[in-house]
Amino acid sequence: MSIEVKNLVKIYDDRKVIDNVSFRVNDRETLAIVGFSGSGKSTILKLICGLTERDSGEIITGDGDIAMVFQYSALFDSLNVADNITFALQERRELRKKYSQKDLAEIVSKKLELVGLKGIENKFPSELSGGMQKRVSFARAIVTEPNIILYDEPTAGLDPISSTLIEDYIVRLKEETNAASIVVTHQMSTIRRTADRVIMLYDGKIVYEGTPDDMLKMDNEYTKQFVTASLEGPMKMIA
Amino acid sequence: MITLAKYYRQSATYRIFKGILEDLTVFMETLGQITVQLCQVSKFILKGEISWKELMEQCYRYGITSLPITLSISAMTSIIIASQVAAEMVKQGGGNFVGMLLVILIVREAGAVMSAFAIISMIGSSMASEIATMRVTEQIDAITVLKVNPVRYLFVPRVLSGIIMMPFIVILASFVGVLAGAVTSDLSAGLSYRAYFDSAWLGVYIKDLFVSLLKSSCFGGAIALISCTCGYYASGGAKGVGLATTKAVVWSFVAIVIIDMIFAIAFFY
Repeated sequence: MSIEVKNLVKIYDDRKVIDNVSFRVNDRETLAIVGFSGSGKSTILKLICGLTERDSGEIITGDGDIAMVFQYSALFDSLNVADNITFALQERRELRKKYSQKDLAEIVSKKLELVGLKGIENKFPSELSGGMQKRVSFARAIVTEPNIILYDEPTAGLDPISSTLIEDYIVRLKEETNAASIVVTHQMSTIRRTADRVIMLYDGKIVYEGTPDDMLKMDNEYTKQFVTASLEGPMKMIA
Repeated sequence: MITLAKYYRQSATYRIFKGILEDLTVFMETLGQITVQLCQVSKFILKGEISWKELMEQCYRYGITSLPITLSISAMTSIIIASQVAAEMVKQGGGNFVGMLLVILIVREAGAVMSAFAIISMIGSSMASEIATMRVTEQIDAITVLKVNPVRYLFVPRVLSGIIMMPFIVILASFVGVLAGAVTSDLSAGLSYRAYFDSAWLGVYIKDLFVSLLKSSCFGGAIALISCTCGYYASGGAKGVGLATTKAVVWSFVAIVIIDMIFAIAFFY
């Protein structure tokens, strides 16, 4: 199931943080959303997954599940890894009766294997490193076999090697799940390694849309400033 | 005219009224949030949509982990009252009524109210800070994205555990309080245990026990509901968690006194 966003508007305190934004992401496609901090990237994800109400516009996502990987993993502190991963299967009424304890254990083992973390079922989030927490949150996100996966700065706060690992898993999950994915990121490596297309936001508007390779050509003054991390250019830090 | 308005806005009167209005807005907002959550929780309970595993965990947390502090406070309250009242009453020839007086006080009021205060400080504050932390670390957002209703998952087990466990806590606290009163009366005024317990049952009726248990259930539910609500609507980082916890404690204390007053008027006025 693809994602279609039409003329999306979100206003906070009389300021349009998302200003008439439209785009589409197809199945098995990964779209990277880039831009300055405060440009409205994470707000778009929150609007798509229903955490925030839009002021106007349309978001078409179909009936399937939407999964989100949060910036700081957002694992449940009081639950161990296995319960974190199977949380939706245990707590959603329509899914609860479908799985026995044995099924749940198998699912946990399978999902952990997919993200390269075997044998940590009984550990608690506080016992894991940042990279491991992120990978567990990937496993939790795909447990309901979602059609859409949203990643909010998946490599934030990770070392370069862990970031590469996470980027590989984003690509792998896309192949395994056939889902449409949106990755909000600042990191060029994440854009290059995971995205099929890129849109760049500034002041709530799309100022660039194209492929990662085209973005690196720096034909556009906005992408040029972003890629070169320059203070000079059309984008000013938004107060 | 503009200068006058500008001058007025700098005045102490304006600032006082503005402060009162802001406080009133926050008060009404919080009251509204608690009412909305009460309706939601009631709906889930009536529909039987309860996370049993979570309910068991919360019952243990509410009922068992709080016992040492609750029983200690109840016992110490009785010791304080008995040590001041028993000797004086014995001196005035009213020794035969010490037990009755203490039991009425403990069963009708002190057992439930002191237990509620202990629960607020221990369980209510931890519930509020836990849920507020979940809010600021996006764990509640994660619950929502996973299509699990956060009110059903977080509020219902906690509120139900309060309603179920609080009467048991109050029964134990009252029992300990009555015993502590007997020991203190004996030590401070030389009142025999027999004299204490002979009069102890004279002033207590089945109605008192019933009201006390009903009241404690309301206390338990109210503490959990207020604490969860204050945590749920927390915002910001560590400061937001601290503010939510303080708010939960203050609101719970006030709610307990109001509920207690309503019960007193309804059943004993």
